[in-house]
Amino acid sequence: MSGRAAFVHDVALEEYGFGGDHPFNPVRLRMTIELCESLGLLEGYPFVEPAPAMDEDLRTVHYTSYVRRVQQAGRGEGDLEELKQYGLGTADNPIFPDVHRACAHVVGGTLVVARLVMNGEAEHALCISGGLHHALPSKASGFCIYNDAAVAIARLKEEHPSIKVAYVDTDVHHGDGVQWMFYDDPDVLTVSMHESGRYLFPGTGAVKEDGQRDGHGYSINLPLEPFTQDDSFIECFEAVVPEALRAFEPDLILSQNGCDAHALDPLAHVSATMRVYEHVPRRVHEIAHELCDGRWVAVGGGGYDIWRVVPRAWTALWAAVSHQELPTEMPEDWLEKWGEDSPVKLPFLTRDEPEDYPPIERAGQIEDRNRRTVEELLERVLPLIS
Amino acid sequence: MLLVRDSMTQEVVTVAPETTAVEALALCRGNRIRHLPVLQGGRLVGVISDRDLRAATPALGDPARAEALDLIRVADEMARDVATARPEDPIEDAAMAMYERKIGCLPVVDGEDLVGIVTSSDVLRALVRLVGAHKPGSRLEVALPGRSGSLAEVTGIIRDEGVDIVSVLASSEYEDEGGERVAVLRVGTIDPKDVVDSLSAAGYRILWPPPGSGTGPA
Repeated sequence: MSGRAAFVHDVALEEYGFGGDHPFNPVRLRMTIELCESLGLLEGYPFVEPAPAMDEDLRTVHYTSYVRRVQQAGRGEGDLEELKQYGLGTADNPIFPDVHRACAHVVGGTLVVARLVMNGEAEHALCISGGLHHALPSKASGFCIYNDAAVAIARLKEEHPSIKVAYVDTDVHHGDGVQWMFYDDPDVLTVSMHESGRYLFPGTGAVKEDGQRDGHGYSINLPLEPFTQDDSFIECFEAVVPEALRAFEPDLILSQNGCDAHALDPLAHVSATMRVYEHVPRRVHEIAHELCDGRWVAVGGGGYDIWRVVPRAWTALWAAVSHQELPTEMPEDWLEKWGEDSPVKLPFLTRDEPEDYPPIERAGQIEDRNRRTVEELLERVLPLIS
Repeated sequence: MLLVRDSMTQEVVTVAPETTAVEALALCRGNRIRHLPVLQGGRLVGVISDRDLRAATPALGDPARAEALDLIRVADEMARDVATARPEDPIEDAAMAMYERKIGCLPVVDGEDLVGIVTSSDVLRALVRLVGAHKPGSRLEVALPGRSGSLAEVTGIIRDEGVDIVSVLASSEYEDEGGERVAVLRVGTIDPKDVVDSLSAAGYRILWPPPGSGTGPA
């Protein structure tokens, strides 16, 4: 399968969700897969089906005591007040039956994409259910129970002892969990672009969070102003990400592709459009070929406009991963099927129309502030990478 | 965390009244500090800053400088009327004292004993801890109407939504007579929508997050 792309998925991965009107809704996975299918983008790409991660996998980055609590919670056991201390059973992370197994399966998916690419069985691989970047060593946070990307990176480090992994996170929320888990590790470069923590959850991700001890310089944070639009987003990405990765010389790039920086997303205040979600994967793909023989692993992440944004953004992601053209028009059968359930009008095109997202009045001011942030990063943090 | 003792430096570098300017400046440089309490017989008798000493000596490059640095004694230039803080004082009292007197530090005394020093950068650090993000949370700005109990009502509504409050800052000043003041809260959720909806339903004006974000193309 060398030189080929792999789509890792199993319907069991659609079990990870919190039910009711909770914003983290796995229907977005189903919608994305059916959109890819309907556009013919999955022909010749049978799903690679992952097994759930083992407890030993989870324990590479999570405390055993925490894994036990998640297992208890999934069986309906455990003291609710105590579980809350572990972030379980809160408004953000409600407990649901078999939560441990559902999330361990998501971790398994990310482990498989990472191994397929690192072992050369696939050139690039995607698992859209992954990207639970807020999960902390002993705490669920921001809809994330287990940190799949961190587990995969930790396992790759064990299986390939001298490996260097670049983690590139363009979710609108700071990739805090992954950052903290490798904060003093110079072999894992974390790069996160997000809406400034002054305004958005989780609150971290300032430029000065730049790693510690041996890892000093290996955590890169690019906080963006609220209401940042495509031009500034792309300018900042281009100014920082390629240069940081070139300085680091990774053996593999793992990208987290949360699509909640889109203007329509209800949880955040950045104003990107589908242009960003075509640009970022295309460029990560190019950089992977430039620096690490194309070894690129992509996962999903946040994205809470499940009707208009997530299916299109992750279809564009799969098109980049699998070297296919993104068709222009949305397929009629898909629109018909999902239009019945959707509370909002579904877009007819796979890309956004620029005239629907004109520059806002403060755009110049926002661009200037973002440029200053980039300058600070380029001056203070990037030179620390060797 | 919000008392002087939590923010002060305990290992205090001190000098005597007869210490020379050159020695005192070397202590400032070596320890990267700007203020030195002056002790005589274990008792606090003054404070000297590197700025006081520099102001009293000829400029760098002036041939008279070296001699002057040797001749000037701390006692010649120190402030004798020293404002102090006690370890149990609230940090905001220390901040107020430094701000009003336009000074950069307060020696901390317990009875007669010098037990620490608190500087303007210690106060800033305490402020950073107060407003900083040490637990995951989202920013929420609420306009509080000028009636008693509104902050309590706001925090009660947040509690009823099952959401933790990570930190609260509320101004004590009102925008105008009978007007509003702003409370900035960090709430322990990635999705403050339900909290915002409940606060809005109870009549509170929400300044952040912005209304209608994510509702449709511009």
